[in-house]
Amino acid sequence: MIKALKKGLICFGLIGIGSCFLWICGEVSAQSSLLFRTYKHEVPQKLQETPEAVAEGKKVYEKRCWYCHGIEGKGDGPASKTMFPKPRNFTRNEYKVRSTVFGSVPTDEDLFRIITSGIEGTAMPFWNTISEKERWQAIHYIKTFNEQFKKDATPQVVSVISIASTPESVNRGQELFKETKCYECHGEDGRGNGPLTVALQTEWNMPYRARDLTKSWNFKGGNTIEDIYRTISTGFNETPMGSYLEKLSDEDRWHVVHYVKSLAKDIASDVVVKVKLWEGDQLPSDASDESWSKATAVEIPLAGQIIATPRQWAPSIDAIMVKALYNKNEIAFLLEWDDATNKQEEVFRDAVSLQFPTKIPESLKKPYFAMGDSGGAVNLWSWKAYWNEGFGAVVEAPENESGSVSEMNAKGFKNVTIQPPESQNVAGRGIYQNGRWKVVLKRTLVTEDTKGDMQFEIGKLIPIAFAVWDGSNSDVGGLKSVSSWYYISLEKQVPKTVFVYVLIAIIMGGSVEMWFIARLRRFPPKVEEE
Amino acid sequence: MANKRNTFLLIWILTAIGCLFVFLKYASPKIFQVLMAKDHPMPTPSTLMMWYMIMGVLAGLVYATTSNQKFADFLSFLLPGSGHVIQSFLRNMLFVAFPVLVGWFVYTWSIPGAASPVELRIQHPTLPQDFEKLENPFRQKDDQAQRKSIEEGKILFQTYCRPCHGSKADGNGPFANSFRLRPINFQDPGTIATVVDNYLFWRIKEGGPGLPSEATPWDSAMPSWKDDLKDDEIWMIIMGEYDTAGVMPRQREKQE
Ligand code: HEC
Ligand code: HEC
Ligand code: HEC
Repeated sequence: MIKALKKGLICFGLIGIGSCFLWICGEVSAQSSLLFRTYKHEVPQKLQETPEAVAEGKKVYEKRCWYCHGIEGKGDGPASKTMFPKPRNFTRNEYKVRSTVFGSVPTDEDLFRIITSGIEGTAMPFWNTISEKERWQAIHYIKTFNEQFKKDATPQVVSVISIASTPESVNRGQELFKETKCYECHGEDGRGNGPLTVALQTEWNMPYRARDLTKSWNFKGGNTIEDIYRTISTGFNETPMGSYLEKLSDEDRWHVVHYVKSLAKDIASDVVVKVKLWEGDQLPSDASDESWSKATAVEIPLAGQIIATPRQWAPSIDAIMVKALYNKNEIAFLLEWDDATNKQEEVFRDAVSLQFPTKIPESLKKPYFAMGDSGGAVNLWSWKAYWNEGFGAVVEAPENESGSVSEMNAKGFKNVTIQPPESQNVAGRGIYQNGRWKVVLKRTLVTEDTKGDMQFEIGKLIPIAFAVWDGSNSDVGGLKSVSSWYYISLEKQVPKTVFVYVLIAIIMGGSVEMWFIARLRRFPPKVEEE
Repeated sequence: MANKRNTFLLIWILTAIGCLFVFLKYASPKIFQVLMAKDHPMPTPSTLMMWYMIMGVLAGLVYATTSNQKFADFLSFLLPGSGHVIQSFLRNMLFVAFPVLVGWFVYTWSIPGAASPVELRIQHPTLPQDFEKLENPFRQKDDQAQRKSIEEGKILFQTYCRPCHGSKADGNGPFANSFRLRPINFQDPGTIATVVDNYLFWRIKEGGPGLPSEATPWDSAMPSWKDDLKDDEIWMIIMGEYDTAGVMPRQREKQE
């Protein structure tokens, strides 16, 4: 009896292991954990700067670095064409991440840290994949491009002794952020939308974008308080981001740091956007509505559209936040993204679009994530900022104009049709505030156009994808920021009957147990005496 | 023998299963974080977790039935009236815990939670016939010409593929985080090192849209480059791509 049982169990075990492998294979490709570069501080023992080290460094450089940084270190390597920002020009002192005073060259350790960590959001990779020795050698070589490393052999280092954050300090920091005019570049709420940045970008066509301080994962020099303190004290050479070592006292710089740190958010991403049931009759149609605080926010990273020509190699929008609510009739989305400017032209306008398949997929199969394909159509809800001026005029969309919404269908990016007026049933309203667009899009859960419109169902996984255009970055048509497929799910409420089931389950569990014990008592297991 | 009986066998097995759970839930994410040098813990996928737990339970049962003696010990724990205080205390706990656990399972199954999507795919579907016969023109050439094609290919790779696949071909380009089906890490020995040049030629030319449905073409951000790159350029990119990633293509079986 027991033998048979054993065999059965072993079979089960094998089946289990087999299916497990199947799942492992599947899960690994399905799980895509986000990976952002972080600024790493550890520096190992330095390699002595010798002629041999420099010669070896030249070899490393001419294998790994030259095609971006240029064979002569001028930052003009043959691969630098599609890179924004451009690779560092080593013949000038434009080093950004340093522990040394403004205008000085970085220390070898600074170079080691940045080379090991890479620079998030840029082409500069993290080189912890080559040996420490090779990194030191490369450092000694790139220093030969610039005479200043010789003249300025022991640059003055800014000391960092951290002071803990308090609410008062954050408040004082906020005042100082205004007084020292950080907001002129970084904007009132730190979203990189200050008037000077806007002028630099749109009027002087300068490549500088002040950092969006709310996105902590984009800080090139690290986002710990010590890192931010160092950045503010040293500044970034040859960029508008200057040094505040002299302009602010040590203590004041700490207040500013604590304020910047309080702005800096982590990315809260997820694969499924949960849509909560909203009890009221009316879903909010305004971004400022209190009820949005009930919805869960999901942040979705965006990439430049480089899947088909025309390609956007240098997107300016790198994330969008989504919230959604539904009631028995309607569904509403709140979309928010940071954009440094609100400049609209006839052609180049700020816009956003949501993409759904035209039907909820029954199987794994979906339409192609980039605007569908001949085998699967998508439904697009697209919102555009207001513009209604004469030819060539560039204006800001006013707050009282909600922008225009249109519903479209697409079977590939070359095959887009606008739905006829009678099936345009998405309402929308967008507002630009302090460097952030906030757009609400709303529609009934079901419509009459069952062929062209997504019909929402509760409890199902519904694919959704996003696209954002930044007019001032010359985004239009295929030039945009995009995401791949994500999902929304309209949450079911917990039905009362669940508790009945649970009760039944407990009673049944109890009875099975009693029966088992009773049997066991009647036929106690026999031990064979050896 | 008889007096060395392990009357707590049942409890030991349950404890082991409990430990397995704790390990998978809390320890393994940390271990993988260190092993894979990530900056965040790597939670065990829920389905994987379920299978490991099932396996753990089965292993426990298999162990308990390895001898009749063990099996008897295993079951006799449940017999009331025997043993000392701790044993009867644990036993009573078990009696209460079992129905509660069943109830809890039913509860978690029946409350409507958002299901997480299943996105199984096959990374390397079979190469379409049209591409089988092709040869990489640069592999036959002399060393110098090969070097040249590699250098040119690397530059093309950096220009067109870098934003997704990363400058080191490690799948970590600045755009990589935006695509849930991540751009492939070519340094990973399970990717381009397991296929031949032609295979890459097909994938680069036709991209995601060229994939058959078992490879979920609808989720693939891999562009189709046939309108933008000439065949020669693609072969050069392949040369440069393998070199950048530091791996070799699979050797073809020699034809007799
Ligand atoms: C794929 C292109 C690419 C490659 C390869 C590359 N870099 Fe860079 N690197 C960049 C870019 C782009 C920047 C500028 C980023 C910025 O301005 O934010 C940069 C910046 C730097 C900086 C300046 C950091 C600072 O604080 O200003 C150093 C130092 C550097 N790279 C060293 C190297 C070394 C050493 C190698 C080779 C081992 C290398 N890079 C390879 C693209 C590259
Ligand atoms: C004249 C414009 C300007 C002013 C004023 C300015 N910044 Fe910046 N800041 C920039 C630019 C541009 C960058 C991005 C530099 C780059 O990445 O090349 C930047 C980057 C930063 C960063 C990110 C550093 C990193 O690691 O990526 C922080 C933090 C910052 N600034 C804080 C401040 C604070 C605090 C102040 C006021 C005390 C200030 N900035 C004033 C233009 C400015
Ligand atoms: C928009 C981002 C993107 C760009 C640009 C891109 N790829 Fe890809 N690539 C992907 C993604 C995502 C995958 C994984 C999905 C798949 O296999 O289709 C992939 C897969 C591949 C594969 C299949 C690898 C394997 O082992 O299955 C090859 C080969 C490849 N890419 C080569 C290239 C080359 C060469 C270029 C440049 C000419 C390039 N890719 C440009 C996103 C991109």
